[in-house]
Amino acid sequence: MPKKLRGRAADFIFAAPLTVAFVVMFGFFAIYGDGFFEADNLQNVALQSAALCIVAVAIGLVMIAGYIDLSVGSVMGFSGVAAGYLITQSHWSPVWASIVGVALGALSGLVNGVLVAYLRFSALIVTLGALTILRGATFAITPQTFYDFGPGFAVFGSGHFLSVPIPVWIAAAVCIAATVFLQYTAGGRHVYAVGVSQEAAYFSGINVRRIPLFLFVVSGAAAGLAGIITIARIDAAPSGSLGVGFELSALTAVLLGGVSFAGGRGSVFGILLGVLFLGILQNGLAIMNVSFANQQIANGLALVVATALEAGSAWLSRRMGVRRLARRPVTTPVAVGREPA
Amino acid sequence: MAVSIRGLSKVFGGSPALSGVDFEVGAGEVHALLGPNGAGKSTLIRCLSGAVQPDAGTIVIEDEVYTELSPKQAIEAGVAVIYQNTSLIPSLTVTENVFLGEELTRWGFVRRGTQRKEAAALLHTLLGSAEIDPDGQVGSLPLATRQLVEVAKALSRANVKLLILDEPTAALTESEAHIIFDRLRRLRSQGLHIIYITHRLQEVFEIADRVTVLRDGKVALAGQSVANLDATAVVTAIAGARVVHPPRDEVGASRPVLTLSGLSGTRFGPVDLEVGAGEVVGLFGALGSGRSELLETIFGARAPDAGRILVNGHAIDPRKPAGAIAEGIALVPADRLRQALLGELDATDNVLLPSYLKLALFGFRRLAAERRVFASAAAETSFPTALAHRRGRQLSGGTQQKLIVGRWLRSARPIHVLMMDEPTQGVDVGTRSELYKIILESARRDGRAVLFASSDHEEVVALADRAVVMKAGRVVTEFQRSRLTEDNLIQAAHLDGAEGPAGNAGWRQPGARHA
Ligand SMILES: Nc1ncnc2c1ncn2[C@@H]1O[C@H](COP(=O)(O)OP(=O)(O)OP(=O)(O)O)[C@@H](O)[C@H]1O
Ligand SMILES: [Mg+2]
Repeated sequence: MPKKLRGRAADFIFAAPLTVAFVVMFGFFAIYGDGFFEADNLQNVALQSAALCIVAVAIGLVMIAGYIDLSVGSVMGFSGVAAGYLITQSHWSPVWASIVGVALGALSGLVNGVLVAYLRFSALIVTLGALTILRGATFAITPQTFYDFGPGFAVFGSGHFLSVPIPVWIAAAVCIAATVFLQYTAGGRHVYAVGVSQEAAYFSGINVRRIPLFLFVVSGAAAGLAGIITIARIDAAPSGSLGVGFELSALTAVLLGGVSFAGGRGSVFGILLGVLFLGILQNGLAIMNVSFANQQIANGLALVVATALEAGSAWLSRRMGVRRLARRPVTTPVAVGREPA
Repeated sequence: MAVSIRGLSKVFGGSPALSGVDFEVGAGEVHALLGPNGAGKSTLIRCLSGAVQPDAGTIVIEDEVYTELSPKQAIEAGVAVIYQNTSLIPSLTVTENVFLGEELTRWGFVRRGTQRKEAAALLHTLLGSAEIDPDGQVGSLPLATRQLVEVAKALSRANVKLLILDEPTAALTESEAHIIFDRLRRLRSQGLHIIYITHRLQEVFEIADRVTVLRDGKVALAGQSVANLDATAVVTAIAGARVVHPPRDEVGASRPVLTLSGLSGTRFGPVDLEVGAGEVVGLFGALGSGRSELLETIFGARAPDAGRILVNGHAIDPRKPAGAIAEGIALVPADRLRQALLGELDATDNVLLPSYLKLALFGFRRLAAERRVFASAAAETSFPTALAHRRGRQLSGGTQQKLIVGRWLRSARPIHVLMMDEPTQGVDVGTRSELYKIILESARRDGRAVLFASSDHEEVVALADRAVVMKAGRVVTEFQRSRLTEDNLIQAAHLDGAEGPAGNAGWRQPGARHA
């Protein structure tokens, strides 16, 4: 269906400033970064971005619906450390420990969701509170680090399938599921509608409570999953650092990817691009021996510059009407308009 | 000197909205700007107000020649606009809105007391006896009151030379519109240039001196004096063809589909009313008569205080719109921009929103079925399918309204009771009579009960089988088709003068945004 394609093209062009920056950056590192453009390194970037991708896509959904979830970093820590506890202290099987870890994430999402969607507390405040509370709870399990989960569990974090790391497969599955949900289910359309205008969605008969509730649960579960993948990859569950600051990285990636704070806008493709952008930026800078401090500065700058680019392209498009959505170039209509009366 | 426009052109997304328009307004003239939906009327005035930059052409305002205007330049040149889509900020008070951007200050501090007094005086001279609380929050005011505040805001500026009103009366009854007309006549005699956009023809003959009709971005009738025109000529110029109201069959006595017994709620009641299968009932009443509140209560958006709602004989208690829709009740709300339109989503999403879940199989969309539903809704409302993938906010006002009506007219859910609040607001004359026909047909064919509220007596006479006149929240009279005339309606609604506008409390809101 060509109309559909045009919508895709529009999405793509909307993400264009980021796409262009991505290509430029990638080219730069490929030329100047020693060992950047090698299969091993790129696979490493993908592996390290997997957890971020899962969390970013999930909070991206929450943000498209017009809400926000800041608790993900601590949910990740809590789920990871809880699973680590179950494996090392209670000698549970890794599979059950993982399931419980994800379920704990979903449960915290459920609490957030009920408070925000049904009791109508501010999402910012509720999830900020959860961020602090769950970090405390993580320390209550242990102030230290659990190690050594056994070889079976390690496969989950660093094993390969068809020579692609398993966490990358999982992240890909999450991206595909989220795309299918947003584009090809009724619920996905409802998410956008709620994000654009709750009142109009409400008058159209959409359940404006259940949708954010569901999304908060998804986001909690995704953070739990990211926690499990991470402890499996590093074979340790450090309660002092697991997931710390992760909510900000995820938020950065989501905003880079063109999801707006106001809701109603964004795509999984854009978010994925945002995640990879951050991952490659960090990897490339590390390869080029840029200090950690400067890497952090670069991350922040990337976000600000991308926002400026987007604002600039929005301004341009306003100046030019919606021409950039037209498939053909703009010459003909202008010529018509310029004919003297 | 006059305000004049030469060869104005503007292209949106490859399709021209204005192509080479010439237009002129004299001092002390009310110039009516007419045309079908999407003709480019709002685009033309947005060029004048600096909200849109034209691609070509010149704008002359009192000896100054512009090829494009910034909003600031436009204000300095003395252009004041009352937009079709109200531009007031809901979270601010009436006073704050009136003086927004033009605050009265001393040493940088806003002089709240002075502002409040001036706003109150302005509202008083503008509206005569009607009271609007200057401290009231705009978001809680009914649509028509907001429109009046908008007028006050435009007139609060010192040096207005060109006043533009884009469908200011779309949601007002005749007596409310007269408040605005009186004011316009006075301004005209002070030598203002006034451009007046409307889809209500009788207003043209009441207030306008000259008429220009736009069609497809071109001038179809240029600056004709109203004295040389009659209604048919104007309608023909707008619609491109003659518009006839089709003959209609009478509905016989039928089983009641919607029954209200002693229903009362915020600002209305108790109301007893029955709407039969295939019957179209019009609620006519002034601002604050409670008609919108009644519809919103039936739709579950407000809680009733007492009484019962029955659909097909079963008592229902819809606690929210989703519940009402599940019972087969639909509402086209009065406030299109806030309660109906999803500006960032495209036209198909806007039509299909209530149908997505119903059409889906295990939650997964069936695109072919969706296309069919959209196509039939578009066909019934003569929505141009070329615009199917435009975003809601990029469509002209009347085109947006078609989407919202189409959303329920052809919804995939079974609708037994179709309620509409100002169903044809902003819709052009040609399409309007087609919509009436389609609404009637769908009522008769599907045995639906149609209940609509309107402030336009012409609309009530054209569409309703039976009219119910509401005043101060109660039903005061009822007219069967045989006695349904414009005179009867107006008399019944305004016997004791219009009621004051009231606030909008008592909402069952979906909740404020938390992000
Ligand atoms: N911001 C925009 N982006 C894209 N297209 C636009 C935009 N604004 C207007 N248009 C298009 O320009 C055309 C003219 O619209 P305009 O709003 O001027 O019509 P109008 O005469 O005011 O109609 P109505 O009587 O329904 O208010 C329409 O086809 C509309 O879709
Ligand atoms: Mg318009």
